[in-house]
Amino acid sequence: MARWGMVIDLDKCFACQSCTVACRMENNTPVAGPDQASRGRAILWNEVLPFVEGEYPNVTMTFIPRPCQHCDNPPCIKVCPVKATYKNEEGIVLIDYDRCIGCRFCTVACPYQVRYFNWYRPEWPEALKEHLNPDPEVAPRPKGVVEKCTFCIQRLRKARQKAEAEGRPFNPTDYVPACVQTCTGHARYFGDLDDPDSLVSQLAASPRAFRLLEEMGTEPKVYYLKQG
Amino acid sequence: MEKISRRDFIRIGATVTAAGAALAAASGTRSLLEKGGAPVVGRGGAMAAPPLDETWVKTTCALCPSGCGLVVRVVDGKAVKIEGNPLHPLNQGVCCLRGQAALEMLYSPERLPRPRLQTGERGNGDWREISWDEALALVADRLSALRAAGQAHTVVFLHGETRGQMRALINRFMTAYGSPNVISQDSLDEQAARLATFLTQGINGIPVYDLNNARYVMTFGGNLLEASRHVIGYLGALAFMRRGRPDRGKLVAVHPRLSLTGVKADEWVPIRPGTYGALALGLANVIVNSGLYDEDFVRDFTFGFDDFEDEAGNLHMGFKRLVLERYPLDRVESITGVPAADIARLAGEFATNRPAVAVMPTGPGGLASGNSLYTAMAVHALNALVGSIDVPGGVWVQRFPRLADWPDWTPDPVAEAGLAQERVDGAGSDALPLALSAYQNVADRVLPAPVGAAQVADEPYPVNALFLYNANPVYDAPNGSRFAEALRKVPFVVSFASTLDESAAHADLILPASTFLEVWGDDYIEGTGYAGVSLRRPVVEPVHDTRDPGDVLLSLAAMLGGPLADALPWRSYKELVEYRLSAIDVDRDKFEENGVWSEMVYFNAAPGSPAWGNVVGRDRLNAPKDGRFDLFSRELFAALAQGSSDDLDCLPHFDLPATVESGDAATYPFLLVTQTLITQPRSWEGILPTLQEAYGLQTNMKWSSWVEINPRAAEALGVKKGDLVWVESAVGRVQVPVRLYEGLWPNAVYMPPGQGHRTLVKWGRGSKANVVIGANPNRLLVAGTEPLDGVAAVSPTRVRIYKA
Repeated sequence: MARWGMVIDLDKCFACQSCTVACRMENNTPVAGPDQASRGRAILWNEVLPFVEGEYPNVTMTFIPRPCQHCDNPPCIKVCPVKATYKNEEGIVLIDYDRCIGCRFCTVACPYQVRYFNWYRPEWPEALKEHLNPDPEVAPRPKGVVEKCTFCIQRLRKARQKAEAEGRPFNPTDYVPACVQTCTGHARYFGDLDDPDSLVSQLAASPRAFRLLEEMGTEPKVYYLKQG
Repeated sequence: MEKISRRDFIRIGATVTAAGAALAAASGTRSLLEKGGAPVVGRGGAMAAPPLDETWVKTTCALCPSGCGLVVRVVDGKAVKIEGNPLHPLNQGVCCLRGQAALEMLYSPERLPRPRLQTGERGNGDWREISWDEALALVADRLSALRAAGQAHTVVFLHGETRGQMRALINRFMTAYGSPNVISQDSLDEQAARLATFLTQGINGIPVYDLNNARYVMTFGGNLLEASRHVIGYLGALAFMRRGRPDRGKLVAVHPRLSLTGVKADEWVPIRPGTYGALALGLANVIVNSGLYDEDFVRDFTFGFDDFEDEAGNLHMGFKRLVLERYPLDRVESITGVPAADIARLAGEFATNRPAVAVMPTGPGGLASGNSLYTAMAVHALNALVGSIDVPGGVWVQRFPRLADWPDWTPDPVAEAGLAQERVDGAGSDALPLALSAYQNVADRVLPAPVGAAQVADEPYPVNALFLYNANPVYDAPNGSRFAEALRKVPFVVSFASTLDESAAHADLILPASTFLEVWGDDYIEGTGYAGVSLRRPVVEPVHDTRDPGDVLLSLAAMLGGPLADALPWRSYKELVEYRLSAIDVDRDKFEENGVWSEMVYFNAAPGSPAWGNVVGRDRLNAPKDGRFDLFSRELFAALAQGSSDDLDCLPHFDLPATVESGDAATYPFLLVTQTLITQPRSWEGILPTLQEAYGLQTNMKWSSWVEINPRAAEALGVKKGDLVWVESAVGRVQVPVRLYEGLWPNAVYMPPGQGHRTLVKWGRGSKANVVIGANPNRLLVAGTEPLDGVAAVSPTRVRIYKA
């Protein structure tokens, strides 16, 4: 079994947000619209966050793309009263929407703020429903449940099925999430952290590598590489 | 990096928890959606889902000039996901956010489903939907009546971005019809850069910068990573440039605002708006003065570095004397506001870290200060000084494939008479001899001058019909309200808009264009140097009863007959494209399968080999004239020689934009700069909701506009973050919220272009239909035109700001 992880090179990330949009198109997060967006309720599983520092003319800005960190020691799971959120055997943190009761303990417990609550039934202008991804894993979530990045779990399923149909063993490089595939700066890497030869485990061992809020002991499987 | 605390995440990222407190514990009840409401990521269940019957169709994007190869996932006849085509040499499998969001354009509820005719007063919004037959008959009747009356030249075709064969088709159609008035939007953005490349290198095109191999990149303008012509190639190349030390190259961004390009650059050089040219000449001064320039290149491959004598025996000033005498560092510092020590350091870095390239601004608004041609030439001259012309890591010339020749045809006397007429925009006239188009001029030439103002130039003749293709002048031209007036004066206006945009609202007839995902076509691969073609084809059945404007023009040509039918004998745009591409020597099946074809030999060629030399190297096939780079433009000298004895007209030089130091500085203290964001598609006037939700990344502003003000200036004005203010120029005002931003030249203010469209659709819960999203900064721009080249002179525009 693989232990899936991601590495994001902040030196190559140009904050174009292609990952953000690719994620929405792949995972059917709804159109928030001006009103909900102004209340901060736009659901974007993979937001890019801006941090501005300094005064003119010595201004710096850091952008951090923030998917679910898929912690090995995820605080969200510990607080879920109904065991709706869980980590699967490949290390991906998922939510069983059927079990979720919408208490949002997990949204509060998550130090990375990657969990989004469906205050309402997701809405699209009727015409836009045509382009929704028909994969069952990403059917629009109902009102009252929490949702977040799944490392595009449907893509893993499809990659396995494809390998099987082609009569060959599944290879970890067959599978990447939508954000990794589309990344314009080739800044995202994805693979098996347990395979010492994989690119992600090598990059995760780089002296430039760090993880967000590492001191909390959450053991995220998303690594970042410091800017040059 | 580790400094980021949990508090920051709460503040910046999500507000889910804050909102959650208000509603306390929500009830556990919930309704499943009717559509696909099955349990989803359950334990095991969904993982057993059978694979869907899906196809992946290759096509080519048209939302920005990059023209990336795409692969579209189609399930049940619906396009459901877009990825990049890995075989396309520019995007190499990646896809930017605009391409990703193209599905929202394809299925947009804002699209016009079929042709429509204005029934009442124009602009009132009384429309009647009509059939294509009726619509085409209306246009053909009108065109043939005008032609019969000897008024062919009074038909005007305004166009924006065109892809593949479309520009040639438009030109051919209008030439055969007998009108010189094909007016391109290029004069709002790229015309200066194209012309500068022509005047220095002899090639009319946007230079391609080989950033993959560059060690030092200095970009003038904030566009490189957001809205440059080959943006997707540059994003990949800069990522490659950052492949780790010691190979890591340096990127320097020169711009009044810390744009995304500046943020991701290694160094941001703030500069007074509109003064790039002076900085470039100051850098040249240091490089020449310190002898750091590439002596071999300058001696063997440039013209006009040293003073020289012309054939008539007159002595002319060379580039060297120009920069040494006229652009000493103290003067450049006082013009640009960049400290002399920084200029000297940057010049040293640029000249000693080769290959180095200086990138001229090309995107909308990048070069539009009234000095844009000479600014572009000054920036480009830096590349010649360090020998970065036609070398790896330097400036390349884009090659285009040789396609099948257009069939011969003979113009009839009507066409000949029409083509001999002056153009409506004045391009090519004595005042604008180098202009190919002067889009922004059209309104002023059609309308009488406003009360109290001098008439720019008299309208040569009344315009009787006007076509709009990928152009929305009421919105995108400076001071577009003048255009609305002008359109009302034209008796017959036809728009190819896909949505009811601001200009289409003033049309008589709208022939809605299909989106690029529904049509056949081709696209030249640009940004790689070598030639290539990417195919465009329908990925789904047309969603509405719309047509490709190429097909419409060919139908009209057939209906009009005569020289038009001879010049355009194809029944469909697809046939035309197939004919043109038939000259490419390639396995058709392979071409179809890959979606792209390119002369990739360069990629695998050994440096110095003939295949390599076709793209790189000074024995290149299409070198201009004697292959020399003109630091002193011989082309300009020939064009202006009559009566002009000033060498400055032929050399890159700097004039302060009239707006920067004009007398109304007391009334309008701020300089407005605009710059296209990466979240803004370039050829779609409707709302793409996901791009709106990603719109202002740096400001965390979604679905809106804003004005950025330096905090010190805001304090002096007494405005705070979030205050609603009026931004007012001499020609208009718009209301926007304030955003304080440290990354801004002290008296510059910034507004994002691309917003201010009215949407008829209710986007999301609690939102309203029929509202304007954000504000359009083009309404503030004072329309001016640069002498010689016809480029719009609008930036920076002087504005004042006061509380609403």
